[in-house]
Amino acid sequence: MPEYHPGSEADFERLYRNSYRRILGTLITMLRDRAAAEDCTQDTFERAYKAWKSWRPDAPAEAWLHRIAINTAINGQRRERLQEVGAVLRRIGRPVEPTDPAAVVERSDVLDALRKLPPKQAAAIVLRHYHGYSNREIGIALGVPERTVASRLAAARARLQQLLEGSRGAPNKNG
Amino acid sequence: MNGPGDFERELERELHRILDPIAAAPIPLRKVPSGAMARRLLGGAGVALGLKLATGVAIAAFAAAAIGTTTEVAVTGSLNPADWGQQVKTTVTDCKAKLAAGQHGIGDCVSDFAKQHGDLVSDQHSKGNDGTGGTTGGSTNGSSNGSTNSAGHRPTPAPGKSGTHTPQAH
Repeated sequence: MPEYHPGSEADFERLYRNSYRRILGTLITMLRDRAAAEDCTQDTFERAYKAWKSWRPDAPAEAWLHRIAINTAINGQRRERLQEVGAVLRRIGRPVEPTDPAAVVERSDVLDALRKLPPKQAAAIVLRHYHGYSNREIGIALGVPERTVASRLAAARARLQQLLEGSRGAPNKNG
Repeated sequence: MNGPGDFERELERELHRILDPIAAAPIPLRKVPSGAMARRLLGGAGVALGLKLATGVAIAAFAAAAIGTTTEVAVTGSLNPADWGQQVKTTVTDCKAKLAAGQHGIGDCVSDFAKQHGDLVSDQHSKGNDGTGGTTGGSTNGSSNGSTNSAGHRPTPAPGKSGTHTPQAH
């Protein structure tokens, strides 16, 4: 595990380079499109930079970053939902604007199902099954005790499986 | 998908299929908070530079005030900036009163006053340069300043402090 020193400018830059893609990957599974995930990743590092001096090396730096990222995404989603209501009201009667294909992550049943899970459950799945985090690291990232992680992961997997089976069993809407 | 193990493997495969291309993308430059940018650029040197700038501004302001005071005293013979203006105002009023009905022009009358005033101030200024003025520079000693400058404005440091060591930023 790389060693970082709280408050060190050079170490924060190294942490950014080492963790950017992994944080972005987690956020892409939680948020709707890549652009939103990229913005959220930058916000995460901005917040982390402000708190960098107070980071304690007893927790893995990347798990700490993930905690900030997950909270930033959840807050962003709340804001986005409120904005969406306003946007829908403004759009009524206007033609739908085409979506930029580059901004959309490849369509996937797994991603669609993950986004239907509570955000912290979705994050737990990605942290375990993509990043290979331990229960301790997931506990730090989610802000829950380590003993809670196993039960949350089990609940998330069961729900995800249910959602995927439901979507595969359902007739394809696109023909 | 037959068992939990199969499901987990499929989940991992799918996550890698979607997220691995993203992980291969170049990392953009980090967005730096506006305040932090200046600190990053200047670092410790920025603090020293800031102190030097602040000191420079303070010295410039002090010098401007000292020059202004000296000039004012030289022109009006008084530290009070209202004095010269008040005298001119009074003179103009007197000159107007002296004019006979139908006459115009108070230029000569005011000019006489200005000349007299100029001569007076010139005398005082030359006396001040002999070392008795106390407000034109910091070269005179403490006793002469104390006796001639009733306002007590002294740009030079207090005598008691001249021997003390003041830490300097290097």
